[in-house]
Amino acid sequence: MAYVSTKSTPSRKPPLNESTPLGWVKVNMFSTLFSSVLSIFVLIAIFFTLKSLLTWGIFDGVWIADSRRECFSISIDGACWAGIIAWFDSIFYGLYPRDEIWRINLGGILLVIWMVPLWLPRVQGKVFIGFSAVALYPFLAGYLFSGGDKGIFVQVMISGAIVCIAALTINAAIGYFKNDNLANFIIQRLGKNDATEKQQRNILLGILAACVVAVFIWQLSWIEKSISWTRWGGLFLTFVIAGVGIASALPGGILLALGRRSKLKAVSILSIGFIEIFRSVPLITVLFMATTMFPLFMPEGIVLNKLVQVIIAVCLFNACYMAETVRAGLQAIPKGQFEGAHTIGLGYWGTMGLIIMPQALKHMIPNIVGTFIGLLKDTTLVSIIGLFDLLNILRTISRDKPWLGLHQETLVFGALIFFILCFAMSKYSRHLEEKLSTSHK
Amino acid sequence: MKLTTLLTSVAAVAAMAFAGVASASAESTLEIVKKRGHVRCQVGPASPGYYFLDSKGEWQGLDVANCHAVAAAIFGDISKLEIQSVSTQARFTSLANGDSDLLSRTATWTMSRDTQLGIDFLTPTFYDGQGFTVPKDSGIKTGMDLKGAKVCVTSGTTTESNLNDFSRTNNLNISAVTFEDFNVRDETYLQGGCDAVTGDKSSMAGNISAFPVPGDHLILPDTLSKEPLAPAVRHGDNQWADIVRWAQFAMINAEELGITSANVDDLKANSKNPSIRRMLGVEGDLHKGLGLEKDWAYNIIKQVGNYGENYDRYMGNGPQGIGIPREGSSNALWTKGGLMYSPPMR
Amino acid sequence: MATGVSGSEAVRVKPQEKFNFFQDERVRSVFFQILTVAIVGWLAWFLASNTAQNLDKRGLSFGFEFLDLVAPFDPDFKLISFTAGVDTYWRIFIIGILNTLYISFLAIIGMSFLGFSLGIMRLSNNWLISKVALAYVEIARNVPLLIQIIFWYSVIYAVLPRLKQSLDLSFGAELAFLNIRGLYVPWPVLGDLLWMTFLALAIAAIATYLFRRWVQKRQDLTGKSFPLLLPSAAILIIFPGLVFLLTGSPLSWDIPELKGFNFVGGASLPRAFIALLIALIFYHSAYLAEAVRAGILSVNKGQGEAAMAIGLRPNKVFSLVTIPQAMPAIVPPMISLWMNVVKNSSLATAIGYADLVAVYMQTSLNTAGHAIEIVGMTMGFYMITSLTISGLLNIYNKRVQLVER
Repeated sequence: MAYVSTKSTPSRKPPLNESTPLGWVKVNMFSTLFSSVLSIFVLIAIFFTLKSLLTWGIFDGVWIADSRRECFSISIDGACWAGIIAWFDSIFYGLYPRDEIWRINLGGILLVIWMVPLWLPRVQGKVFIGFSAVALYPFLAGYLFSGGDKGIFVQVMISGAIVCIAALTINAAIGYFKNDNLANFIIQRLGKNDATEKQQRNILLGILAACVVAVFIWQLSWIEKSISWTRWGGLFLTFVIAGVGIASALPGGILLALGRRSKLKAVSILSIGFIEIFRSVPLITVLFMATTMFPLFMPEGIVLNKLVQVIIAVCLFNACYMAETVRAGLQAIPKGQFEGAHTIGLGYWGTMGLIIMPQALKHMIPNIVGTFIGLLKDTTLVSIIGLFDLLNILRTISRDKPWLGLHQETLVFGALIFFILCFAMSKYSRHLEEKLSTSHK
Repeated sequence: MKLTTLLTSVAAVAAMAFAGVASASAESTLEIVKKRGHVRCQVGPASPGYYFLDSKGEWQGLDVANCHAVAAAIFGDISKLEIQSVSTQARFTSLANGDSDLLSRTATWTMSRDTQLGIDFLTPTFYDGQGFTVPKDSGIKTGMDLKGAKVCVTSGTTTESNLNDFSRTNNLNISAVTFEDFNVRDETYLQGGCDAVTGDKSSMAGNISAFPVPGDHLILPDTLSKEPLAPAVRHGDNQWADIVRWAQFAMINAEELGITSANVDDLKANSKNPSIRRMLGVEGDLHKGLGLEKDWAYNIIKQVGNYGENYDRYMGNGPQGIGIPREGSSNALWTKGGLMYSPPMR
Repeated sequence: MATGVSGSEAVRVKPQEKFNFFQDERVRSVFFQILTVAIVGWLAWFLASNTAQNLDKRGLSFGFEFLDLVAPFDPDFKLISFTAGVDTYWRIFIIGILNTLYISFLAIIGMSFLGFSLGIMRLSNNWLISKVALAYVEIARNVPLLIQIIFWYSVIYAVLPRLKQSLDLSFGAELAFLNIRGLYVPWPVLGDLLWMTFLALAIAAIATYLFRRWVQKRQDLTGKSFPLLLPSAAILIIFPGLVFLLTGSPLSWDIPELKGFNFVGGASLPRAFIALLIALIFYHSAYLAEAVRAGILSVNKGQGEAAMAIGLRPNKVFSLVTIPQAMPAIVPPMISLWMNVVKNSSLATAIGYADLVAVYMQTSLNTAGHAIEIVGMTMGFYMITSLTISGLLNIYNKRVQLVER
């Protein structure tokens, strides 16, 4: 008993740790002398950079003016954002006739409506939503943007797309509010719950066909003014090129990657050759090739316009990069998965489509999005061969009489737009990766 | 296999949907244009005065007015026009390949181009000459002062070879700094990257008006070359060449006769002058030779204006003009001592 | 088993076997391969025949004779001499390749250094430093390279002084100048006997190498270390220096000097070159920084802790334990980034640096025509470069794998 102290020792003060702001600063920024010196140096540098940037861009910036001269007269050192504001429509829609801009907006809104159900909980058939967006939406949007006469094939696809978007929206609403899907809902409403599966399917197909025919008849009278590709431009054109590239790079890349890993020698050699050729050359040479050599490749009478040439080049180029990304993902799948799939009797496409690809794609999300970001950034190269994408429009501002010589502001604005888009994409991919991750960490 | 077949057929159909199927060359350009419903016209990357985009996304300029005039002559509607922008290097091959019907892009009419590239030049829209721009405080008074200087120039143009010739003839040892883009060329010059810029005097005048302090720069008196800037069409379709040529002449002739976009309606109804009446299609059958409608010239004047109006608007002192004086220059009407002359329309 | 098959089953199996001939994997494989080759072959033939027809129609020809023609222009940056009006397109091609390789080489060195530093900064304990590095990486990676190149070319460079106010980088000694037109530095003029100095340098290098091996061996055997830095430096500097002086200093400098409109003498780097170099380094180092960071993080934490436990100091732990183990994860992405540098240097065409694409694929194509030949040659160069670099990568991977297992 005597060894035990009767008084408890006073508790020691907690060490200066990260729980207090001051402690956090000390631990994370001033832990050693060297670190402190660095921190102070960096702080000063940040202060002056931010100060001059803010002064130029915001405090001294001119927002309302009719010309660059007027900007100068208001503030000689500040940024002249008024030029950007005056050109706002052109930056987003390029040379698109101003009366028809609603078509671009509508196309964008439709895409959002189409894709939003992918993010809603409890909505069924998400894979179909994705596929239909790639397979049908381009026809609807393509006609909306370019207008003119439409061939019978395009008419059918447009009808399909309109029915599809309507069905998907209703389906999403039913899924979100009632936790059900459209097919069941219709069957229940018709009171055909007890019918055989085959009958139910026939009823649904019948309704679908009726809708498509109805829409087809309606759209016969729907004709938009034709707008040439030469009037496409600005951020809109950047999105079109990047969108087509993204939508075709993934399927193309998967096919090429499977081809490369194929046991069939001829297929794999051809795939490797194709992939390696495009991966080893710069995109700008592929674009030059497309514009100088495609006209020679085409049979007499067929003329591809420059936009189509560029889009083909971008798709081929990015499919090859995507193929390597997919291949890396496939290599990470353990052999047991292939063997397991074979054991339960799945064929090649079954194994790939149902077992391997879903797992591989999940692993690859960051890399796939990385390739997409690269694609988006690469679209700026089309300005070198004369398309009016975002960068080219921004550079054209400096050739407009009132804004002659406006270079810095436009470049900074362009950099900012790309930064926001790319940064958001990469952050979202990281979020998606965590969400889909099934591995135990 | 089914999947592949399906994909291939879809791709093929999609490709066909996008690919315009051009007709065989047996058809005349006019027929092709009429069937297509619009004229295809090529200009360059924006250059003030000649062709530039305004903030509404519309092309404007003296060379664009040529495109408008052709569309007005054929369709009576200047909006029936598709304007493409081609780079300096691609312009002639692009026209020869059939990408467009008309190249109206400050191209200098030279013998080799006219005879070797499968294209034909028409009437010059603008008579220009190559010169130098220098900073006023550099003390340079003539081209001979440029010994050993660095001169900024755009690549792949006659401008570049004229500069080389000038340097060799006068033993000046000038080194050329070449650029693909006007923007970059002028920026480099402004920041002191070269001692002088060389280019067509007119376009330099336009560019100087855009510099922060226009008064600090000077165009030297030397003229290195003749630069008749003319539109061009593909070689071999004379009817089409006639249409473009006479669309231009109509604008010059209208100025000579005093017809403007403002008074053309009045003159068409009331004028007693047979020249005016013939030109505006009130009497005579001038339009038949071109294969156009009776009021083709009326449409041009009404919707595009005469040559002088366009000059003032884009090259002269209009709000978008770049301020090149017309008085006493080659671009004045022949009646005022210039070279703008139209054969009689009768 | 076969004997036990009943009649009815045999009947059922038989047609299936017949069908199996087409289902047989080998047959199907041969069939598909022939089909693929046929389709690709037909496509190639189709394109080739179209091309031949189109060339014929336009009165163009195919052939490489144009390489012997005199090129009617003069590239404004070149590492080998070019006489306007005498030299040919072939020489333009060589000049373009050299220019591309030259800027790529410098950019690769720069981005490797910067990328490693940034990668290490990203892992710094100092919160501020790691966040600054992160901001750098995010900005550089999320803005298109083309915008960055134009930015460096036109915006940042605007702060440089004009010709008459050139910045003297040698602090008044008037040796190196920086102005709006580029960077001007002295250039060595080699004397006759200079080879002896180089020989001495080589001998000194070999001697240093042997000395280091000896020190290493001695340390392995006895555990005693021997000062390394000072003796090596002495060998490397004193011996060649003596030889240099004894042979009469056979080296002089060509110093840039302002004459009339320009600096004459020395070596100069044009502004487009510097802007492109900065942009390439800035852009690619961000990617390398991420690769370096991932590589270092991939090394098991226990390795570092174990090294600490045996008493190594933190910087020794880093350089002797962590980095060597991280290298196998860093090198493959780094080498593919090197390849990207070579490819992306082609964006030079936007600001007028005379790289291969600009002088050959643009200007030469414009003046000489022959699109197919020129595009093919240009792409061929990039493919060969790429194959060489990926070959190096394979060799490295093999060596690393051998060491590991």
